[in-house]
Amino acid sequence: MKYDNIKDDEIRIIKKKEANEPLVRYSCASTLPKSESDDRFESQLRRMERRRSRTWGRALALLLCGGVLALIGWLWYKSGADDGNVISAFEPELVEYSQDDASGMAVEDKTPLSVCGDSIKTPYVEVIEKEVNDIPLTIYIPHNATPRLKMGLPSPSDEGLVFTTQAADVRADNGKIVGAFVIDGEPLSWGLSKKGYCAIIDGKVTVGMADNSPLFEQATEKGGYFFRQYALVSDGKLVENNLRNKSLRKAMCVRGKEVFVAMTTTRESMHDFSQALVDLGVDNAIYIVGSYSYSLYRDREGVLHKISGQLSRMRQINVNFIEWR
Amino acid sequence: MVVVSQFILIFTPRNEKSTVKRQHIIISKGTELVRVPLDCLMYVEADGNYSKIVTKDGRERLVLLQLGQVEDLIAEQIDEFEGEILRLGRKHIINLNYIHVIDIAKQVLVISDCEGSYHKLEASKDALVKLKSYVETW
Repeated sequence: MKYDNIKDDEIRIIKKKEANEPLVRYSCASTLPKSESDDRFESQLRRMERRRSRTWGRALALLLCGGVLALIGWLWYKSGADDGNVISAFEPELVEYSQDDASGMAVEDKTPLSVCGDSIKTPYVEVIEKEVNDIPLTIYIPHNATPRLKMGLPSPSDEGLVFTTQAADVRADNGKIVGAFVIDGEPLSWGLSKKGYCAIIDGKVTVGMADNSPLFEQATEKGGYFFRQYALVSDGKLVENNLRNKSLRKAMCVRGKEVFVAMTTTRESMHDFSQALVDLGVDNAIYIVGSYSYSLYRDREGVLHKISGQLSRMRQINVNFIEWR
Repeated sequence: MVVVSQFILIFTPRNEKSTVKRQHIIISKGTELVRVPLDCLMYVEADGNYSKIVTKDGRERLVLLQLGQVEDLIAEQIDEFEGEILRLGRKHIINLNYIHVIDIAKQVLVISDCEGSYHKLEASKDALVKLKSYVETW
């Protein structure tokens, strides 16, 4: 567009252009005296030169900005890929507890959400309806039950089952579990694709966020359980995630001494869900398979209720649940 | 003898001249090359970031170049047609040989070969005034 500097009310004869020679511009030149025309032409040439140098300057600045944006985009994409389904690393060797791990295990004294507490001695799930930031949350607090991970589909006729919901994600393309996964001390999957983790060791649930968690090793050594998911809340602070869509959300939460599963009854973004958990006072939370994933709970009368999902629609390979019994 | 040959050259009809050696304008970009005989080029019209080349046979061809870039290419390749192709405002490049009507009042420029190819173009009054002035003395 070197010579596209023409207005609608102008005409210009296209003449043979020599090397680096600008086109002759015909404005009112033919009707003007020669000297004045020449002056005008010279000034136009100078303006063109200035415009050209300015254009180059702008182009260079734009190029630099583009480069910086591309770099930022690449870094953002890379972090997104790490949080996604790309399994790129193995769980490390046993290392000392990091700050994140320590915080993940921190327990504060908070006013419990549970009203019933452990006054009832039979295993059951206390269900609390709460609305936080206009987000209706249903909170399931298992009592008198021990958590564990389980492979395969749960049975609604299982009398010992108190609560169950899907835990780790399974990749749609190859059917593998996303991130590190340990069941009964046996590692079935490795990887750091998601930074949030849940470890169940000696019946104690730990939810946290860390790149390298020694709890993976501990789980393998002590016959425990471990899985990874998106971190939602860490140390009472919201953890941003790249998932932008809205869906029914579920989370495994630790609040003070309470461990519970929170679910939304409306479709929410990950950010809004995380914020609601933060406002609920949750210390640490990780996402668990949401949407219409299969979930059951048993009430204090011993009746098993389905929360969501259909067993017939579920894939069989590597499907895994966290359950209390 | 020289005078006579110049006289013959001046009054040789354009078509006859072009049968000796037709000059083409070559527009090449990416995987596409468009080659248009300049004596067949009626006008080029800007179409957003692209340009529409209209030839004497009534056909239109969209090229992936802006009008200024087409103008630049013509300027690089124009030879014997120098002074006969003209940029009219921001929207058109026209071949002066095919100017049929300049209607300043209606702001219309008719490009035609008077053999069936007929195109009405819109242009600003000022541009048409200048064009008329130029064609009168051409």
